Amino acid sequence: MTTVAADRIAPTPVAAHRPWWRGKLVQVAVVVALMYVAYRIWAVEYPWPERLEWNALTGHLDAFQVWLIDQRNAEDPSFVFAAFDAIATFLDNIVNWFERLLLWLTWVGTSVAGTLLALRFGGWRAAAWVSAAFATFALTGLWAESMQTLALMLAAVGLSLLIGIPLGVVAGLSNRFSKAISPVLDAMQIVPTFAYLIPVVVLFSVGPGAAVVATMIYAIPPAIRITALGIRRVAVNTVEAAASMGATRGQLLTKVQLPLSRRTTLLGANQTIMFALSMVVIAGLIGGGGLGDVVTSGLYTSPALAVLAGVAIVVMAMALDRSTEAVAERTDPTHRHLTERRRRKLRLVTLATVGGAGLAVLIAKTVDAAAIYPATATAQEWLVERVDAALEYIQDPTTFLFSITERFGTFVVVHLLQPLLQFLVEAPWFTTLAGVTAIAFVVSGVRPALTTFAMFVAIGVIGMWEPAMETFSQVLVATGVAVLIGVALGVAAAESNAVSKVMRPVNDVFQTLPQLVYIIPFVYLTPISYVPGILASVLYAFPAVVRLVERGVRDVAPDSVEAARAYGATRLQVLVKVKIPLAGDAVMLGVNQGIVMVLGVVVIAGLVGSGGLGYLVAQGLQRGQFGLGLLASLAILALGIALDRVTQATRRAGRETIG
Amino acid sequence: MSANVGSRLSLLLGASLATMIALALSGSAFGSAAQSCGTVTLNEYGWAGSTANTYVAKYVLEKRLGCTVKITKIVEVPSYQAMADGKIDAVLEDWGYPDQYKQYVTRQKTVVDAGSNGLLGHIGWFIPGYLLKQYPQFKTWRGLKGKESVFKTPESGSQGTFIGGDPSFQQKDKELIEALGLDFKHVTAGGYAAQVARATQLIKQRKPVIMYWWTPEYLNAQLKLVEVQLPPRFKGCNDVGGSGGDVKQYRCKYASVPLKKLFSKEFVQSGSPAVKVLRKLKWPSNDAQNLVGKWIAGDGMKPDKAAERWVKANAAIVNAWLK
Repeated sequence: MTTVAADRIAPTPVAAHRPWWRGKLVQVAVVVALMYVAYRIWAVEYPWPERLEWNALTGHLDAFQVWLIDQRNAEDPSFVFAAFDAIATFLDNIVNWFERLLLWLTWVGTSVAGTLLALRFGGWRAAAWVSAAFATFALTGLWAESMQTLALMLAAVGLSLLIGIPLGVVAGLSNRFSKAISPVLDAMQIVPTFAYLIPVVVLFSVGPGAAVVATMIYAIPPAIRITALGIRRVAVNTVEAAASMGATRGQLLTKVQLPLSRRTTLLGANQTIMFALSMVVIAGLIGGGGLGDVVTSGLYTSPALAVLAGVAIVVMAMALDRSTEAVAERTDPTHRHLTERRRRKLRLVTLATVGGAGLAVLIAKTVDAAAIYPATATAQEWLVERVDAALEYIQDPTTFLFSITERFGTFVVVHLLQPLLQFLVEAPWFTTLAGVTAIAFVVSGVRPALTTFAMFVAIGVIGMWEPAMETFSQVLVATGVAVLIGVALGVAAAESNAVSKVMRPVNDVFQTLPQLVYIIPFVYLTPISYVPGILASVLYAFPAVVRLVERGVRDVAPDSVEAARAYGATRLQVLVKVKIPLAGDAVMLGVNQGIVMVLGVVVIAGLVGSGGLGYLVAQGLQRGQFGLGLLASLAILALGIALDRVTQATRRAGRETIG
Repeated sequence: MSANVGSRLSLLLGASLATMIALALSGSAFGSAAQSCGTVTLNEYGWAGSTANTYVAKYVLEKRLGCTVKITKIVEVPSYQAMADGKIDAVLEDWGYPDQYKQYVTRQKTVVDAGSNGLLGHIGWFIPGYLLKQYPQFKTWRGLKGKESVFKTPESGSQGTFIGGDPSFQQKDKELIEALGLDFKHVTAGGYAAQVARATQLIKQRKPVIMYWWTPEYLNAQLKLVEVQLPPRFKGCNDVGGSGGDVKQYRCKYASVPLKKLFSKEFVQSGSPAVKVLRKLKWPSNDAQNLVGKWIAGDGMKPDKAAERWVKANAAIVNAWLK
């Protein structure tokens, strides 16, 4: 596996490129070995020193919260709060209006209208997804709840796009703006939602409005980022050609850049939908209602019902995802050429769609469909029985399955997590600090190393060193596993279209499944702390890795592959020696995204026994210890930034050398 | 043709914004009409007992008083602000959040203390009954000393594992373990549902378990849990873990607290007949709530049905609330 071998196979562009990690891997190993020696000598002797902690900080933050709440609930609150109230009422009204509309149309009307719309603008497949989704809502007996969630999502996604797309356009046009908001977007994605639920409640009270705000904070970043990416990707020469023909900046934007980046923008809309739907459960905690509530209360009253609600959320996400994608493809102006005749025909179809939907509503109203459905048409009881039977099996510690999962869990804890945890928690703080900084330097360079150093010092100063190390150990293991699985599946998906087709719905399911539902069964299967949380993080993170690796491997320049083939390389050789090394960037991006996703479920993991920062954040929200929760969240953010810089800087450096 | 798309997109954005504003303004027209009792919003928390309270109250208010009851599911601390905003009318089982109580009830008076709900909440250390049979000395904490390794698990090394509770519940077990000089590793189980999952699974395998737990809780009977005696209370004994200071001040059992009902100030001033009834609402005992909790969470009965069954079987008690 030396570079010489690769040279011999593909002398063309590959020859000059030496994968960055060949030598660095060794250097990192040396640093880790040194850290280990220090750990063996000084274990437990040097925890983060108390005199380097700023203990008063928690108190100040708590006092700030008390002050804010007092201001808000005062006899005559400041106009600032009136403004927030107005926003909250506005959002409440939007959601309520959508919900009333969907319920007023009745289940028949909504399903028919939704399906016909999807059919007109998205085609058969989209229509099939949409009707399957409505059928699921009805069959699970969760129609009203689903409509509540759908209304919430329509409002949250709509507003996220209204704000996100224009900001994304600006970020795409202006480097300075893009740089300025980038850290803000990072924070919005990594700081756990739990940390800002209380501030959101203080400013916006509870209810659908507050839930929309909490969802938007998480769902706007992809809209901004991907829109900006789309604008940037519009070929420079196209823009220049238009400019040279005398187009103004406004014309450039509306006639060249926006139309050409349309598909990417719709991909952004797509991701916004996915991110928003992964927030349904958390939004329920502050009055979002709908399926989120069914999940949370189902966890202790009827786990089977919680599972059904989870399924409804996933199906909703997939239907929205597939139909927006289909609409994007179908209406893409670069692929669509309308003749006058076809245009007329389409107008007729549109008319028929509207007419059909109207007719359906009319019929539904006359036969009073709303009265028929809840009583007879649901399969809820039957489904709950089936799911209960499955859960019964999972919860039985005498089954064969349990004997495997428990052993596996114990193995992971004893041989992987526990040693790593001890190493990170007990090693002297200064060697850990020096070690991670050195690794950042080796892998990425001076500036990332400085950032990493600053972040770890910050974690110590705010008094979060020990829980942060605990979380760090779990993040490392979870990311490691997610990357292993993700790279393997990603490569497989890139090589085989069949695998790729199978992976797509699998990825969607794991990314949107409300995490709480699928974690509780894991607690039954491996009743050991850390493991359920790790499994949850892996399941949430690996789809992102799969997607990025698949795209990376598929995008490897065809001429490199051709060249290798011409020299007689087998398919395996091409894969191992050309495609994967050349896709190194995509793999690193996958690692990077994997870390961000794993950090995104730290709090949820804390709720199933992972402890560490996640538990503290949850405690901060639920016991009203705002300062504690906020600091723990900041520690998660600091950890995220540090790990991101270590992996992201490589990506940038790599891109520069490749050009 | 494609050139139009940009302007069409912005038109679309503009139009949807305009629609949203129009919708929001018209939304206020949907306000509910006031009746004699009107709508009462009760908040349900995330445990079976709270579901039992909320649905019993709902049944009584709807069937006997003609109110419309709305149930929200806001988590504990945000629910105080929700009451201050008048978005929730009442919470029927509050376990006590000292800071929030001080701010909202004592100082701001935006939330009103409506007295006990008849339940006596008590937190403690619990073990399964079979373990007590095997080790009778586990009746008190002294018997645990030197025997901690019985509770060994993969994550605790040579120590015993003590399973800690939901992050939203008050606990001081870390301090207590240290103050009692016990060789336990405090391991958090996560949220309520996760702790239930873990405990039931270990107990099904008849493994040794010691954990943070409480009463009233319907699962206690099902899992046959027994409490380990902790040192008696003394004056100034602290139950709020994590508040610092010498660990000695935590060296006592948890206090038993009467669980409270809390109302929003707006609700109290509304003159709704529901206020009077909810003020009087009181469970006769912890067992009564456990029973309803078991019907709902243990036997899978719909909360509405469970409430109906209990109210019908306890007409005398319910009638006293309505007087």
